[in-house]
Amino acid sequence: MSLRLKLLLLGLATLLLPYGGYEYARQMEAALRDSEQQSLQAIAQTLAASLQGRSDLLYRIPTEAGPAPPGPKDLQAVPLLAAPFLDGYADEWPHDSPFRRVFSDGPHQLTLLAGVHERMAYLLIEVRDAHVVFDAPGADVLDSAGFGDRIWVAFTDASGAQHQYLVATAGPGPVRARRIETQDLGRQVAIDEPRIVGGWQPMSGGYRVGLRIPLAMLGARLGVLVDERDHRGAEPVSFGTLDRDSLAPLGRLLIPSPELRGYLAQFIQPGQRLTVLGTDQAVLSQVDALSVATVSDAERGLLPQLYRRLLERPDDMRVVTARAPIAGVDRRQTLGFVQIAETAERSLALRDKALTQLLDFTLITSALAVTLMFAFAAWLAVRLARLRRASESALTREGLVTTFPETNAPDELGDMARSFSMLLGRLNEYTGYLRTLAGKLAHEIRTPLTIVRSSLDNLESEQVTEAARTYLNRAREGSERLNAILVAMGAATRVEEAIQSADRSRFDLRALMASAVGAYRTGFPQRQFAAELPDAPVMFTGAPDLIVQMLDKLIDNAVDFSADGATLTLRLVADATQAVIEVDNPGPALGAEGRSHLFESLWQSRSGADSRPHFGLGLYIVRLIAEFHGGSAAALNLPDGSGARFRVLLSSTG
Amino acid sequence: MKLIAIIEDEPAIRDNYAAAFTREGYAVRTYGNRKQAMAACAARLPDLAVIDISLEDEPEGGFELCRALRSMSAELPIIFLTARDSELDAVSGLRLGADDFLTKDLSIPHLIARVNALFRRIEALRKPQTTGQTVQRGPLLLDGERMQVQWDGEVVLLSLTEFWIVHALARHPGHVRNRQQLMDAANVVLDDNTITSHVKRIRRKFQQLDPKFDAIQTVYGMGYRWVE
Repeated sequence: MSLRLKLLLLGLATLLLPYGGYEYARQMEAALRDSEQQSLQAIAQTLAASLQGRSDLLYRIPTEAGPAPPGPKDLQAVPLLAAPFLDGYADEWPHDSPFRRVFSDGPHQLTLLAGVHERMAYLLIEVRDAHVVFDAPGADVLDSAGFGDRIWVAFTDASGAQHQYLVATAGPGPVRARRIETQDLGRQVAIDEPRIVGGWQPMSGGYRVGLRIPLAMLGARLGVLVDERDHRGAEPVSFGTLDRDSLAPLGRLLIPSPELRGYLAQFIQPGQRLTVLGTDQAVLSQVDALSVATVSDAERGLLPQLYRRLLERPDDMRVVTARAPIAGVDRRQTLGFVQIAETAERSLALRDKALTQLLDFTLITSALAVTLMFAFAAWLAVRLARLRRASESALTREGLVTTFPETNAPDELGDMARSFSMLLGRLNEYTGYLRTLAGKLAHEIRTPLTIVRSSLDNLESEQVTEAARTYLNRAREGSERLNAILVAMGAATRVEEAIQSADRSRFDLRALMASAVGAYRTGFPQRQFAAELPDAPVMFTGAPDLIVQMLDKLIDNAVDFSADGATLTLRLVADATQAVIEVDNPGPALGAEGRSHLFESLWQSRSGADSRPHFGLGLYIVRLIAEFHGGSAAALNLPDGSGARFRVLLSSTG
Repeated sequence: MKLIAIIEDEPAIRDNYAAAFTREGYAVRTYGNRKQAMAACAARLPDLAVIDISLEDEPEGGFELCRALRSMSAELPIIFLTARDSELDAVSGLRLGADDFLTKDLSIPHLIARVNALFRRIEALRKPQTTGQTVQRGPLLLDGERMQVQWDGEVVLLSLTEFWIVHALARHPGHVRNRQQLMDAANVVLDDNTITSHVKRIRRKFQQLDPKFDAIQTVYGMGYRWVE
């Protein structure tokens, strides 16, 4: 993994910043929500306090309804959103209202639901009855023989007087309510009450009746009694919320005060829902502005919407609610509850705003940090690459490096470059020392060797025995070999000197090589020599003596590494700018690792003993001469791997 | 008896050379440093001086001494015999008027041969010129006895080694003399580069008299030959 990539990944770690911010925003949101909840609670309590003892505001008839909690036979009116059709169907009625009251008597069952809309009270009566019996059609309503199933509705009026009404019909459809009055002589008459209207409709397993009674007629109490008959004229089974004998209503009708809504409306804020509940948790009145948006999506902008979509959790509470009890006058009873619901939109909006700013900020910061880190990494990589190139080329140029990049940098890379530079400097001194070591050593050994040889020379003139002469000869041979070693060791130094004093002249390189090949043929009779020379003369400016010496070293090398009878090939290829001399020899291929060192001073790759001294200077001399001619030397393997090729490039302009 | 002065700071070498020369019938005086040698030579000039370049604490003491001796006598044969074999030293030594510049690789018989030759030359120079030992090759006149070379009638000042190289080449014009042959002729053991620089110096000396001189031809890879 490159440094650049690593630092880039490191830069991505700054993305933890937005994540931290997100967590923080969520906590902030929770705190906001908490405080919102508390302020909502305070509002609810204030509102409840303002309603304390105000049962008149809660209920239409406050005096009786107020203190006592609704009994089992009490009916509580539902605030209806629209007037229901009085056709005996329950379509317009709420289906699962908590105000639905069910009265059972054996197989019989009566379900009552009261509602109020504007100035009318509505009553939905459902009777479960296996045998629906209608009144006899056309019969007098008071003729008991024609009696079918009948419904009694009784209520008190505002003054407390009781009124009973009879609902009977000979068939499904609109129904009328009738009052039975006892006139003179005890004659009973049924008088239609036109203000009460309704509809009768059978339903599966019974029938349903819807009634409308003006609120003006109603007082505190209301009850319904069903007379169930098996057949016309039979003795009825009565059940319901009226006293069976006196038909006095047993329960109250609790109607929310119409002023309550107006009262609540003055407190309502957009995004809120105010509800006043009765003691039985039934809704008395409700003002709903919950769906009135406080902040529109369009206002919110595209990016925050995106954030919200990313951040929204399914368990996010979208609505905050609070509830407070409404105390009675004496504070001991509870009249009902005030409940306030508010959308969490405000806290969400605040959260969104904070998050948006935070995310914007951190994303920009992250992007900036990543970019900076990437740029920094790239810069570092460039510097490191520069160092690497310098150190690589420094090694290939055998410590000829004098300048090293980055050494002026004040940072750790600079330190490294400086220590590299120092190291190379020392290496340079060391290789320089090594290069001159052979020469110095040769010089130092020469004096003691001269002592030995001159002593031996003198000894020759003395009278020595035949046995002693043997040793004398051996000592002489040894000193001769030592001398040969000294000459070989000093060879590079002398070539360096020769190079310094070399004169350039213009000569025919082809003729030189042809002449040299002739000399090699006689010099090395055990080898074949093939010359591949151009047809035309190759005029070249340089030092011919040195070139010959270079060829000698190349041929020496090729002879040493080839077997007897092998054919060595000398090749000259020249163009306007340079001449290439190649010497091919069959033999072992060159190892990759030694190939680059072959031309260094004192590099020795040959193995095995040899009577001649070798110091790895031959090819070094080749390089020196090639470089003197502005060229270079290289060692290659033959393409077919059958041997080695030494190639020398000479620049004509050098 | 000829007197040879050996100025050499290494006692073993000094004594070895002294013993060899004594055996050859020469009188020998040896000195370890320049001061002693100067004092002795001022008192009595030797017939030949063998000088090492570095003398005790003077790395270039031999050159100084050579300069002083040459100023005392123009004819005194002076041989540098040194462990230093650099081209620069050789050039400096010969420029100071030394008759030969030899490295200590040289064997004692070779050294004695040279000394004898130098004495022969001095004697020959004192006698009138005879034609017995001379070889004429075009403008070149080679006097084997005096070990002297003339080009177009002018004397070319060659060191002994240089004379012997020219002599070996010019005796058989057209024949290639390889380096070994030249070394044998000059009684020296030298490496290729030293032969090359000797030849170069010889050419230069001829060219100082005749800029068009090109009688010594290089046969690359083989050696040199004299062309007329």
